[in-house]
Amino acid sequence: MREVTLASVRVYARRYVAAVVAVTLAVAFIVTTNALTSATKAGLVADLGASFAGAEVVVTGAGSVGNAARLVDTADAAGGRAAVNALTWTSASVDGHVIADDAEIGTIASGAATGLRWQTLVDGAYPGPGEVAVDEQEATARGIAVGDTVTLGSGKDALELAVSGTVDSSTGPHGASAYVTWPDFAVVGSTGIVHDVVARGVSVDDLDAALPQRYGVQPVDDFLATAQKEMTRGVDVIAVMLLVFASIALFVSVLVIANTFTVLLAQRQRDFALLRCVGATRRQVLRAVRLEALLVGAGSATLGLLVGTLFGHGLVAAASALFPAVPVGAVELSPVWLGGGWLLGVLVTLSASLLPARRGSRVAPLAALRPDHAVVVRSRAGRGRIALAALALWVGSALLWLSITSHQLAPMLAGGFVSFVGILLLGPIVVPLAIRLVGVVLGRVAGTAGRLAVANAVRNPRRTAATTASLLVGVTLITGMVVGMATIRTNVDQEMDQQYPLDLTLTGSQVLDGGLADDVRAIAGVEAVQPVGGGTVELRGKGLDLGATTVLAPPSDVRGIVRGDHAFVHPGPDEVYLPWEAYNASGYSEGMTVAAVVDGEKTVLKARVADGIGDVAVVAPETLDGLVTSTAERALWIRVDDGADAEDVTGALAALARATDTEASGGFPDRAWVDLQLDVMLGAVVAMLAVGVVIAVVGVGSTLGLSVLERTREHALLRALGLTRRRLRFTLSAEAVLLAGVAGVLGAALGTVYAWIGVEAVVGEAIGQVSLVVPWAQVVLVAVAAAVAGLLAGVLPSRRAATVSPAAGLAAD
Amino acid sequence: MAPTTTPLTFEAAIDRPQSAASTRGLTRTYGTGETRVHALVDVDLDVPAGTFTAVMGPSGSGKSTLMHCLAGLDTPTSGTVTVAGVEISGMKDNQLTVFRRDHIGFVFQAFNLLPMLTAKQNILLPLELAGRSPDADWLALVVDVLGIGDRLRHRPDEMSGGQQQRVALARGLVARPTLLFADEPTGNLDSHASAEVLGFLRRSVRELGQTVVMVTHDPDAAAYADHLVRIEDGRVASQGPVA
Repeated sequence: MREVTLASVRVYARRYVAAVVAVTLAVAFIVTTNALTSATKAGLVADLGASFAGAEVVVTGAGSVGNAARLVDTADAAGGRAAVNALTWTSASVDGHVIADDAEIGTIASGAATGLRWQTLVDGAYPGPGEVAVDEQEATARGIAVGDTVTLGSGKDALELAVSGTVDSSTGPHGASAYVTWPDFAVVGSTGIVHDVVARGVSVDDLDAALPQRYGVQPVDDFLATAQKEMTRGVDVIAVMLLVFASIALFVSVLVIANTFTVLLAQRQRDFALLRCVGATRRQVLRAVRLEALLVGAGSATLGLLVGTLFGHGLVAAASALFPAVPVGAVELSPVWLGGGWLLGVLVTLSASLLPARRGSRVAPLAALRPDHAVVVRSRAGRGRIALAALALWVGSALLWLSITSHQLAPMLAGGFVSFVGILLLGPIVVPLAIRLVGVVLGRVAGTAGRLAVANAVRNPRRTAATTASLLVGVTLITGMVVGMATIRTNVDQEMDQQYPLDLTLTGSQVLDGGLADDVRAIAGVEAVQPVGGGTVELRGKGLDLGATTVLAPPSDVRGIVRGDHAFVHPGPDEVYLPWEAYNASGYSEGMTVAAVVDGEKTVLKARVADGIGDVAVVAPETLDGLVTSTAERALWIRVDDGADAEDVTGALAALARATDTEASGGFPDRAWVDLQLDVMLGAVVAMLAVGVVIAVVGVGSTLGLSVLERTREHALLRALGLTRRRLRFTLSAEAVLLAGVAGVLGAALGTVYAWIGVEAVVGEAIGQVSLVVPWAQVVLVAVAAAVAGLLAGVLPSRRAATVSPAAGLAAD
Repeated sequence: MAPTTTPLTFEAAIDRPQSAASTRGLTRTYGTGETRVHALVDVDLDVPAGTFTAVMGPSGSGKSTLMHCLAGLDTPTSGTVTVAGVEISGMKDNQLTVFRRDHIGFVFQAFNLLPMLTAKQNILLPLELAGRSPDADWLALVVDVLGIGDRLRHRPDEMSGGQQQRVALARGLVARPTLLFADEPTGNLDSHASAEVLGFLRRSVRELGQTVVMVTHDPDAAAYADHLVRIEDGRVASQGPVA
């Protein structure tokens, strides 16, 4: 029997293509995940180590900057040298222009402690007191050069520092945009956070003895080992998430493999019957088929290891080449992952072939003797299947309902899975029905060839359902993600409209130059510009002294400029809108009175809060007229195209602001960043799910290809009866598009429903009252993409079908 | 391949006014070099219109190849094939396909009905492919003669072999082809069904005026024909009316 198995694998190797591709991709997915996470871990560990270069002892638990200062003194007293690794956020300006509201400022060891300096110099010199070193990438991005003067902080704590050099400072835990020496940090970063204090030249025991109990004193190696463990645990969480997608790919693989085996073994019924005739027992036949599955599984799993290793290395190499800032180290594949992936691939193949093998080998020896050897596969949905489907749908719906009412994730996942299995079970009824419906139209449009395509597509309901099922999984999940994400995005957008009403603003302390608005309009990405009149007014209140403030009076109609609905657009007669920050600093609250003073003349206004208007106050035009003798153009409110590149636009505006001595501000960079995060997330998830779709499409193509082999005689007959080669190709392509298109439409519908449930069950709890947002264009695109994928899947099978000679299949052999 | 010359066709029409199909110097070889096989060698043949012609010969004699060439399913290596006064031996695949639609009908040993279509859909398929609408009277007549009126809504796997072959016969007749080819039409049938199908073939010639060419190696089947062609080793051994 072994020769038979080996010969079968050899002869039918090409027909196993789909199974091989499915297992290979799924296993490669797992291996790639391992490659990526191992490289990320190595990168993080390397960065972590780099952040502690030179350190011998690490002291944790310092807490405040003041404590840290005392720690340094203690270490010094014990005969060592110590440095503090701390971080603070403060505003930074160059030449009087704010370049960042919350620049990340870290510390750099200096003086006697330079041995603890972990940053490496790129240009200029390391900073001493009164100087600052800027991270090289940050310096390039912000246009800061050695020799520039940077002001950190504002008010009495502001520090003017000279840029002494640029440093390469990696992305480790101590990484920041710029680094100042410890004495300077104590001034600008008094409220900052202290990561740790590092020391050298002093033993752990001596330092521990000199310090109170509450501090943790560790040798640097112990500290790093613990920190690495924590860090890699974070990466492991990501690995687990990636494995969720890998298991989706595996699930799709099971469907594709099972279908391939079912079709393949059905075609070989005669072979099996012949084997039985010459004396093989049913057991022997079954064992031969299982051995064949094992060989296919082992071969493809091995191939998957190879492909995954290559792809993983390639991805990591590409990532480190394209994004130098991302911490990636060397790929180190673990035997556990490789072995596990391989075993999973083999097990998936074996288990998927179990049922088909049993069914396929259950053939009477007599079948070999019957003259008619046409493959007759009749498959209809049995009653047991329908009952099971109903049960699954019922249980699934109940669980989903529970998840909606209780806002819990677990019943949602369980309910989603169970109900989806129910739908898959109903496939042999639902899918042919849907194809027939579509087929009515196709038959009208494409005539006989169209009708033939429909008839072919539904002739074997179970095979049809199995073929579309794999695609249905991917399309449903992708649609669910797309719709869910659109819903989240709409809610986030509304939230951001409240926080960031103005994309960008340009405000002057003097009257703006007349041509400035046109200059702004000329910036690529700027959609609309609204000049706003105003004046300078001194604003005072109880415990509040804003001093000379730019007070703006926006025109009544600022639609198309301001995002969302905001009260500050239409201030009441005696109201003044102040930025939220003004309240925060003073403990002032809304509704209190504010005195507006111009030339000693005082007007009392009621204070209101506004988000995201910048460093100005807003009043009604009439109010402003009452305050100042003449108003002039003082600010530009700018609306940016939704798709514009935030860095380009704000960069251009900042340059303009510097040249005209005005202040550029606005929420667009933040909004764009959030948008980017959502885009990246959706893109990543869809890309992961796409692996499953690719497997499914290969499955569709393969099943069609196998069907073509079955139908050689029919195709020859059709050609003999007058179907042109082109029309025959069309028939096959139409069948492929029908299968994939119906999967696409059903999947899109299902995905939308699941997204609604997901939003109701989970997101609703987090964000509050949300309504489903269906991005119709994207959902339709997903369905159409599925149909196009079907078209591609049908290319090879239809070509092969059309090459059949009209005479070839007809001879009764 | 050279296109047809008008005088030849014209001459052929005058020479053999009753020929539905004819071959001149028809040769078909398969393979090259060592594996070269001569399936047909220099075959001159005439199929008189309105007759029931039987092509006989042992297995491998070349009778199936002859039929395929006559039906435009296979292209000759050399020589000409003329059907309905048109030389088809030089036609391209698409031309041949269209020509088959209009002039050739088939009945096969293995019935070759499309399993997903009903009997009626199978019968009407050639017309659908040609984009022609069925002649209702003719269809009714054919269905009536073949006695399959109560089977039209059934699929092939719900019918007996004899019934399937009668449906196939109806499919061959429905477009009123110049030539109806029957390739071992009784090979898969018992003697009762065989006699029935052969009877129908003869009736279609006598009552419906159809020209039928039947390939068979069964002398009993050939006895139904009124014109007999014997093929041996790829050559015509004899041809003429059945005595």
